[in-house]
Amino acid sequence: MSAVELTKKQQKALDKAMDRGGNFTNPFEKRSKNRWRRSPLYLLTVVMIAPYYWMITSSFKSVKELQEVPPTVYPKNWISSNYYDKNFDPMQFKQDVIQGLFQRYPDIKFGFFRFMFNSVFVNISITILTLFIGSLAAYVVAKHRFRGKRAIYLTIIGSMMIPWQVGLIPGFLLVDDFGWLNTYWAYIIPALPKAFIVFFLVQYLSSIPDELIEAARIDGAREFTIYWRIVLPLLKPALVAMMIFTAIGEWNNFLWPLIIVQTQDMANLPVALAFLRNAGAGNIGSQGVIMAASLITSIPTILLFFLTQKHFIRGIALSGLK
Amino acid sequence: MSSPMFADSKKYAPSKRTGFRKFSEAGLSTYLMLSPFALLFIVFAVYPVLASLRLSFMRYNAICNPDQSPCGSVGFGNYQYLIMDDSRFHKALLNTTLYVIGSVIMGMIASLTLALALQEDTRSNRVLRVIFFLPSVTSGIAIVLVWGWVFRGDDIGLLNALFNFVGLPTVEWLATPSLAIPILIFMAMWGGAGFGMVLFLAGLNSIPAMYYEAAVIDGAGPRERFRYITLPLLRPVMVYVGITGTIGAFQIFEGVYLLFPTSVGSIGGFKDMALMIVPYLYDMGFNKFRLGYASAIAWILFGIIFAISMINLKLTRSLEDLR
Repeated sequence: MSAVELTKKQQKALDKAMDRGGNFTNPFEKRSKNRWRRSPLYLLTVVMIAPYYWMITSSFKSVKELQEVPPTVYPKNWISSNYYDKNFDPMQFKQDVIQGLFQRYPDIKFGFFRFMFNSVFVNISITILTLFIGSLAAYVVAKHRFRGKRAIYLTIIGSMMIPWQVGLIPGFLLVDDFGWLNTYWAYIIPALPKAFIVFFLVQYLSSIPDELIEAARIDGAREFTIYWRIVLPLLKPALVAMMIFTAIGEWNNFLWPLIIVQTQDMANLPVALAFLRNAGAGNIGSQGVIMAASLITSIPTILLFFLTQKHFIRGIALSGLK
Repeated sequence: MSSPMFADSKKYAPSKRTGFRKFSEAGLSTYLMLSPFALLFIVFAVYPVLASLRLSFMRYNAICNPDQSPCGSVGFGNYQYLIMDDSRFHKALLNTTLYVIGSVIMGMIASLTLALALQEDTRSNRVLRVIFFLPSVTSGIAIVLVWGWVFRGDDIGLLNALFNFVGLPTVEWLATPSLAIPILIFMAMWGGAGFGMVLFLAGLNSIPAMYYEAAVIDGAGPRERFRYITLPLLRPVMVYVGITGTIGAFQIFEGVYLLFPTSVGSIGGFKDMALMIVPYLYDMGFNKFRLGYASAIAWILFGIIFAISMINLKLTRSLEDLR
């Protein structure tokens, strides 16, 4: 067997890794020196970026330019008429003038802003409330001893194995019975009990020693105070990860809102997008407006991701590998 | 679990347990804190599942007019019809199976390749990782709308423009039955490879470097190191990515809903070429209001997903026992 000498660089990387406890990026599978070997990767990157590029650029093209064959790769001049066209006049039709995104929906108060508000309001409500009730339940399940605890926890875990579409139709009928169709209640309330959040937080809490909590108990602290003052701060990293997941997931939620929305003014952004597209499906001139709406829908989650990237990636790794 | 302090403290002395203390050391507060989640969970998670099971054995349409649209028990009728006679459902099942197999296998290969290629912690790799991950946080509807433009059948469609540019003929992408599933698989890979990549990266980073060191000293080349260290140690991640990917793929909806409508206001595209389970469920439930029938579809979906998860787990267990 031939012993292979480590290169200086490999040795250095290995030493550094050992200092950090041994777990780290494998130093041996280094990037190939041949740059051409990485070229497929860059080609793929172009494929990844292309849809975003197209969304952005075509939302700033004129109706005339959108109709050109072949399509222009880069806008000849950047115009904002797909968002707001100052030449638009509801009383008369003009060639190459489009009803900008924020000029549409004249019978809805605030027009397109209404959909943005719906999305933001629903999202914030769900994220806060679901984390609040979820963390309360998780604290009790993880740190209290009571009868029925095992059964409750098993039910919660077991429910995660059932695809959510199974409860879709009774959920719809239930919300209808409550008279909640086409209201924010239908958006928010059924979305609150999230089994995964409780499961994740219980896992996280079980790795936290009980001493802190018990010390507080002996000092006579009330249970809710313990939760609020001790458990919540301890849970912060896990809560941040769950907050990001919930916010992004709910923002992009489509099927449930599609079912409970009966009039256009209650649509969230994805549903509004689908309606917009169904209204002007084949017409290439309206693609610019559709892309403008798509862009507005996409930006918030991407922004949130950029702002919280570290927590996000750590959260995925945690929830996936534990 | 229980520390002696808890039991010794006067407040929770076992002999004095009355009221809610009989059930919980912390008394009523346990149930007060659990109840918001528990109530909502029972009403909006447990009840719908049970009700859906009941509905799946019924003919039910929310109107229940005894003359025109009666409701009532049909026993296993819905399931029997779905499995034996419903050719649209068979088509949906076949399409979904092909789509799941294609998207999970190819998605897994793509994720692992990306993770290996972007493993090293350099600045350019960090940027590339973010780019590949972006679709996971982008609204599916927004992206599907762009794909709709890419795959347009006329000359304004981007892919056709590209085809024309290099001298190839225009293709009716979304109206060609043999292309529907491959297009959906491509979209799934574009959208999901980055997520799998992150999981594989986490898996790769948790492999202790000394294994590689030992292998290098024993004279193992890059290929052997991959085959005998990386791959076996990544198996748990692969199982996880495989199971979650399969479950997710079975639930595909948005792409079919937006890209493959039919002229009669139903879903699935020309000759149901892209019809899948959840779109069919939606079509039956919310276009045709056959709610019992749609519930039966949902339970078949659950059965399939459950069976696959179990087989997958059993398979990996027995593989581990072999070693």
